Amino acid sequence: MNGSAENIVTFLAQQMVAAAVPLVIAGMGELVAELAGVINIGIEGLMLIGCIAAYVGAGGGNGSVGLAAGVLAGMGMAAIFAFVSISGRADQIVCGAAINIFALGASGTVWTVYRHWRGSHDMSVSLPHGAGFDKWPLPYLAHLPFFGRVIFDQYSLFYGGVLLGFAVWFMLRFTRMGLIIRSLGESPEACQAAGIRVRTWRWGAVLFAGGCAGAAGAYLSIMRTHAFASDMTGGQGFVVLALVIFGRWSLAGLTVGCLFFGLINAIQQVLQTARYTAHNPLIESLRHIPFQLFQMLPYLAALVALAVLSRNRPGPQALGQPWPPVSPGE
Amino acid sequence: MNPILIRQIKNAIVSITTTVMACAAALGLVLLALRLAGYPPLGILHRWIIGSVGRMYYISNSLAETCPLLLTGLAAGIAFRCGVLNIGAQGQFLVGAMVATGLATRWRIVSAPWAVMMLAVFGGILAGGLWAALASLLDRRRGVPIVLSTILLNFIALYAVQTILDGPLQAHGTSAPQSPEVQGAFWLPVLIKFSSLHIGIIFAFALAILMYVVNRQTPFGFQTLVSGLNPRAAKRAGIPVESRQFMTMFLSGCFAGLGGAFQVLGVTHFMTADFGNYGYAGIAVALLGRLNPIGIAFSALFFGLLDTGALRVEESSLGLPHNIANVVKGVVVLVMLLLIAFMQRRRLASIVSDSGGTSRGAGNLPESAAVSNETATTLPAPLDSPGPSAKGAD
Amino acid sequence: MIDIQNISKHFGAFQALKNVSMRVGPGEIHAVLGENGAGKTTLMNILFGLQQPDSGTIRIHERAVRIASPRIARQLGIGMVHQHFKLTPTLTVLENIVLAIGSGYLAGQRTGLIHQVDQWLRTLHWEIPLSATISDLSVGQRQRVEIIKALCAGGKVLILDEPTASLAPAEVEDLFSAVRALAGRGMTVVFISHKLAQVAALCSRVTILRLGEVVYSDSLVGTTLPMLADKMMGGGIVARQPEVGKSSPGPVRLEISNLNIVRNGVAVLSNASLRVHAGEILGIAGLEGNGQSALVECISSARSVKSAAGGSRLSVDPIADKKWNQRTWRRPVAQFACIPEDRRTEGLVMSLSVEANIMLKAHRHSPFVRWGLLRFARWRKWTLDRVHEFDIRCPDIQTPVGALSGGNQQKVVLARELTGSPEFILAVNPTRGLDIGATAFVMNQLLRARAGGAAILLVHADLDELLAVSDRVSVIYAGGLTPTAWPATSREQIGRLMLGVRP
Repeated sequence: MNGSAENIVTFLAQQMVAAAVPLVIAGMGELVAELAGVINIGIEGLMLIGCIAAYVGAGGGNGSVGLAAGVLAGMGMAAIFAFVSISGRADQIVCGAAINIFALGASGTVWTVYRHWRGSHDMSVSLPHGAGFDKWPLPYLAHLPFFGRVIFDQYSLFYGGVLLGFAVWFMLRFTRMGLIIRSLGESPEACQAAGIRVRTWRWGAVLFAGGCAGAAGAYLSIMRTHAFASDMTGGQGFVVLALVIFGRWSLAGLTVGCLFFGLINAIQQVLQTARYTAHNPLIESLRHIPFQLFQMLPYLAALVALAVLSRNRPGPQALGQPWPPVSPGE
Repeated sequence: MNPILIRQIKNAIVSITTTVMACAAALGLVLLALRLAGYPPLGILHRWIIGSVGRMYYISNSLAETCPLLLTGLAAGIAFRCGVLNIGAQGQFLVGAMVATGLATRWRIVSAPWAVMMLAVFGGILAGGLWAALASLLDRRRGVPIVLSTILLNFIALYAVQTILDGPLQAHGTSAPQSPEVQGAFWLPVLIKFSSLHIGIIFAFALAILMYVVNRQTPFGFQTLVSGLNPRAAKRAGIPVESRQFMTMFLSGCFAGLGGAFQVLGVTHFMTADFGNYGYAGIAVALLGRLNPIGIAFSALFFGLLDTGALRVEESSLGLPHNIANVVKGVVVLVMLLLIAFMQRRRLASIVSDSGGTSRGAGNLPESAAVSNETATTLPAPLDSPGPSAKGAD
Repeated sequence: MIDIQNISKHFGAFQALKNVSMRVGPGEIHAVLGENGAGKTTLMNILFGLQQPDSGTIRIHERAVRIASPRIARQLGIGMVHQHFKLTPTLTVLENIVLAIGSGYLAGQRTGLIHQVDQWLRTLHWEIPLSATISDLSVGQRQRVEIIKALCAGGKVLILDEPTASLAPAEVEDLFSAVRALAGRGMTVVFISHKLAQVAALCSRVTILRLGEVVYSDSLVGTTLPMLADKMMGGGIVARQPEVGKSSPGPVRLEISNLNIVRNGVAVLSNASLRVHAGEILGIAGLEGNGQSALVECISSARSVKSAAGGSRLSVDPIADKKWNQRTWRRPVAQFACIPEDRRTEGLVMSLSVEANIMLKAHRHSPFVRWGLLRFARWRKWTLDRVHEFDIRCPDIQTPVGALSGGNQQKVVLARELTGSPEFILAVNPTRGLDIGATAFVMNQLLRARAGGAAILLVHADLDELLAVSDRVSVIYAGGLTPTAWPATSREQIGRLMLGVRP
């Protein structure tokens, strides 16, 4: 790495955006689901399933197939979650926890079976050539100073995520669909009286969240790294949960939070890789701090941010409540 | 015979049957999936069973595996019962294990072996409890939802433990994050030679029975149940809900920390960065046991058998990892949740038909079904209840 | 216009409606009367498509229809104003209307709708800012939003489910004139209530339901209120009016002086002072949302109990304490009783048994616990005594309270709170949602407790019931308590005070 300060800033900014992409994409889905009144702590598991499904799907040589597989697998798992927690009206937290355990086991199992099937006996199977996505620098724009590298030289899902973000923002703010989703989490009885099928809509929101989480998982395995490792999401799904609250259930707040954590993550990565090689005095001075502390930093920051900020807005009133409500007499 | 007793027995039979059905259905589903993927289900099942109970050695390993699962299961169970969604048993488990490791290796402040052992165990308990209490404090003082704070604290604990294993507690002569080994004198006594079955399992089962008695027979157990089901009503009736929830949370962390300490002192004898997923599994254990300590003991045993048997499945030439046990665990919980939801609907129908004839009681059914919006954390059922008072119509 | 024929509906083994028939013509204001649980709400839910009948037909404009959902009801021109408003508090007035009746894809396709809303507002002479958030509106305004919503939806049939439950007398009058104006334009109005006087003032025809059956359906002309009451209650059973006895005020049990409470920068209580003596009932009249909840919260979490001459005395400090609602009320278990406003969420644990709910307070005291263990045999005996004393109708004491009727649930609360002669009782809307018989029972229990020397603070929304039992009444308005009003002030004057008008 070139140690010049400007390069480091550009590099950090690019890494920040790259690290924030899966958080934002998964976060948008979770945001919509939570606005609709469903909290899915299984989002970590959905992302993990997205990772492995995309990786296996891309094994045939076509990255798009992998991406589609990731999205579909995420939606499939979300359907299981929705069936148990929306149709079956089970507790959403417990159900999400079960999804996480299942996803951990299933992704590990599929990974082993896949390696076995591909005849590999060491710990990895590499993607076929061309199956993983490479960065997609936009013509002309990528040559702009700073921004060219930071936002016009990213993976295709980054651009997709930006478009999706604007679409979701528009949907929530200007469409009747957005009104319905915001009402579902706030006052499902008002929706019911308006003839809106609460559970059907919640199913839709959860499936959307599943697709987003699957895409975020695919981003991790076939875009950013071109590799799969067991438990490779490493808690990012949980960070997403915290960020949705940190952003107070708004898309803008969520994005800011994701970028912030992307930045911390980028710094952490730079330090972890560069602490023995870099010649920058700043990094030199940080060399003696254990890199695990930097890994911890996003979680610690999330906790501190929640502690400092969360008093004011309690979030959607019906969040986590099944519909129709489980009568206390039952 | 006493009608209350009959009803209780009937309830117990129903919930045991449900649970066993859920386990069988989950195992069946997973084996069916494997069959569709081209694996021999019966062969796998055979290896699984042999690997968990086929020999004395396997049985004792299964029991050893049960111990941490039972303790984290109890941790999750008592917290959920009180309406505190402690997802943080994993972090509390890690912190407990780490403190116990330290107190038994590098930070020994006493010399007698039994004292070192005791100190390590109690240090682990206290560390787990305080780690959980931290989440409870953040909830009370700063309004951070326990679900989120415990999740985040899990990761903070993970990296904190790694930092320490990479620093002050790193074994000499290694660059990996790994603690020195605990001297043999400080190990927990082993029940069966050459296995890892230590006396901790006895304590764990005793604690399950103790918690059962506490839940059913003491004011504390009654108050925690009420606090979990309807905190506002509990508060109005003079039950100090916040203090009950705090105590429950602390106790929950203590159980998880004890699990970590036992695991280090009884089974692994040193700590690495990868120290298992017992905390997360505890949530599934608690749910499968329907938050009842005795049920949790059995479900922990089931999970212990699953885990140990899966090792044998992995050893075979089929190319399946032991992670397959986690698949079964996840499926079992999902099936269980569905079954509970289904049973609840039937239960409601039976209540209505019971009382509709005798009084106008059911007349407000549509009203209550539409309006009621209990603020309590809605867990699937009034799962474990104290004494004859709580179990209503089945 | 609306012709309902032989509708039946079961919930499990319980028959909520039995062969109900009813006709309502255009321009008619038709009352549906009945006790709680008589089937009024079920019938209206069926008419509005929220529930499906087991048998029977509904005709609208002589055409048989199947109303499968509220959406279809709306297409048929039926709009409903629910007793519990179906509004999303975080959205604006217009957004709520769009949510309920909009059909377009964009929430912004509004011009036609705004025009429609404006027209209705002008017809009814109402003013509601369309961009206001619902949570900022008063109860009366929210009801207007609900009515406008229902009118925009179809505007041929309007169902009003207990619309006057939480309105001030003047607001009720305003609502009635609006309803008359609508009927004058040929709209059919179905008015559900159990307030006979209001029905007589507004409606032209009435259908009375009892235990799911129609017992009377005809014109109101020529009927008298006692006649209607008889039909509602099933012939001859006239509601007992709680009788007011002579009271002899004893020592002060509760004293509040100059209490100020500020929440989120808004003064919800300012300089509130009151005293409750032993052996009297002090009523607090007022429309909801004028500071009652802060007052109640503050009293029920008060801690300082002083032993004074003639018993303990609860004093609430005159300091604004923002932590009131976080405090746990610990000590005065035996002397302090509280009948909370919402028994479902604050009074009872619905999934636990009658026994557990009755023991909620006493379980940790001496006869029921020994050596740290609960003694269930004592629980049982104690509970059975309470069940007999308070006439709680339940299959057995292990039944979950959630399976009991509202009246019996309230009796469980009373049994827990009033046993052991409490020195101070705080009762908040204790008869909400109860039928006439259960209401009388509750009020008589309060009078009995008063006779036993208890000091009772009754915060109640129903002015008539409040005046019937209270020795003195204070009015709460916008966070301020008037000095003692009743019986020195007339009922009409109290009604004006409730609206902030000085008599």
